[in-house]
Amino acid sequence: MITVALAKGALLKDSVRCFAAAGLDFSALLDADNRQLMVPSPCGRARALLVRNADVPVYVAYGQAQLGVVGDDVLREHQLPVAPLLDLGFGGCRMAVAVKENSGYSRAAELPAHCRVASKFVRCAEAFFAGLDLPVELIHLTGSVELGPITGMSEAIVDLVATGRTLRENGLVAIDELFHSTARLIGNPLALRFDLGDLQGIVDRVATTTTAAASVSAPSLR
Amino acid sequence: MALQPAAGARDLHPRQVDRNRQLCQRLAAVYRLWGYREVAPPMVERLDTLEAGGGIAERDVARLIAEEPLGLRPELTASIARAACTRLADRPRPLRLWAEGSTFRTFTGDGGGQRLSERLQSGVELLGVRSAAADAELMALLLACSETLGLQASHQPRLLVGHHGVLSALLEDLPAAHRPRARQALSGFDPLAIARLPLPQAQIDRLQALLRLRGEPTVVLPQLRRHLGESPLIDELAGSLEIVAPTAARLGISLQLDPSFQPHFDLYDGIVLKLVCLGAEAPVEIASGGRYDALVGRFGAEATEAAGVGFGFSIEDIRDLLLRPGSRDPAGRPVLVAYGNHSSLARALDCLARLHDKGQSAELLPDACPSRDQAEAAAQRRGCSALEWLH
Repeated sequence: MITVALAKGALLKDSVRCFAAAGLDFSALLDADNRQLMVPSPCGRARALLVRNADVPVYVAYGQAQLGVVGDDVLREHQLPVAPLLDLGFGGCRMAVAVKENSGYSRAAELPAHCRVASKFVRCAEAFFAGLDLPVELIHLTGSVELGPITGMSEAIVDLVATGRTLRENGLVAIDELFHSTARLIGNPLALRFDLGDLQGIVDRVATTTTAAASVSAPSLR
Repeated sequence: MALQPAAGARDLHPRQVDRNRQLCQRLAAVYRLWGYREVAPPMVERLDTLEAGGGIAERDVARLIAEEPLGLRPELTASIARAACTRLADRPRPLRLWAEGSTFRTFTGDGGGQRLSERLQSGVELLGVRSAAADAELMALLLACSETLGLQASHQPRLLVGHHGVLSALLEDLPAAHRPRARQALSGFDPLAIARLPLPQAQIDRLQALLRLRGEPTVVLPQLRRHLGESPLIDELAGSLEIVAPTAARLGISLQLDPSFQPHFDLYDGIVLKLVCLGAEAPVEIASGGRYDALVGRFGAEATEAAGVGFGFSIEDIRDLLLRPGSRDPAGRPVLVAYGNHSSLARALDCLARLHDKGQSAELLPDACPSRDQAEAAAQRRGCSALEWLH
């Protein structure tokens, strides 16, 4: 049986839609009354695990799920050995550096050396500031990172920005972008090599729902 | 005082130790039959040996605090290759060696700290021969070892076979600057990275097709030949696979030629192997290996003898694969000898000795047990296979 790890939250609805195109119906997960964390598809060929965003690549890396859907931001942050198979195009957001509106900084490179930067995504932030040759003190927070600059604990934050509304309502402004993130279909590399066609068939059918079909077309080896 | 073992280090209970030993002994018996001699490479080595000339990343090696840069071995091959080129340099080639023992790898945990992972490995190295015959011997030995492990059809054992040189040849059309990234994208199963390579679409399409190319050798080899033309590498690989195919078929192990597969450690420069089984929920890699001639050369072997090929079994993964949770291993369970009162102790010890003479594991219940019912309850509590109660 094929197991798919899906993230709770903003990506779930589109993730379910993608697998529906591949003939796997996990719409039970969208039922407001559903409390089950493991839901079989009615066809009996697959089941879905409902997990937290950051746990999707963990289940896939350990092989308990052969496929999963998760944001590129999570993949970049956790660096687990999974195969990124498709850019699904939805769940778009950007990883950005933000500061207080009245801070006077207009680029991350202007931040003072050794300043404090709060983030949930410390690996991404560390790599970004290392690329700028700017030494900073990173503070790991698990949520509400906007409070870092508001309370004065940090000069800046690195966080995901979708519409920018949360930043605006908290008096912050984005001054630099690390990368643009969208949802990815990921797979367990060993399961994909062990696959006799079932998994690849699902990946190919999911690809038809995305704008990235070109990256997964099946050309012959010429 | 901490009461837990260090995270990642193994602290095994008796049944796990028994099963590990049984598996190691079965494998060792096969290695010996094939003419391999046991060596015991050091657990601690200099870092430059362990990193195998860059084949193993520094981040994978657990370092020790010492005056010189030392670390714990992350695998057994580099140490055996070093010994073969130094202390065993005057022994006639081919040199057939086997070893078993713990290996240690490190990785960075999500909290940023260094995490340790201890694994028990058992494997062989065939040194000093660079030939398709040596590759075929290694695969045949791997299959013979698999037979002794008692894999079932439900495990769907499959031997993935790749070749470093074939993959290099397939990438030769690309500009040299893009080959490392293309190789990494293929071995990491990353079609998105392939799509991002700054190459003409025709080459991207060819790499995407290559990523999907795997299957039975009879299907994949003609496709490789169509692409590479006449190639001694393909001929050698085809010859080795043809030799072992009947044995693999007899054992129910399918052969899968997978040109883009490369193992985790970048030690290999020829054939690469991985034996994969289907576990309860996910595929499990139970053995891995390949040819590492350049590594032997780096340890100073003369050009004609700079050759090595080997594999290692991951004992704990095999143990967990074969012994599903909840299952018991009656062969390893002792008989409980109990006695009704103190005057029967001498007879109980005689009974124990008789069972031991027969090769039966048996243990004594130290305190007198006045009734058979109580003795039976004790035997059940202790997980014994049978009871001898002397009233």
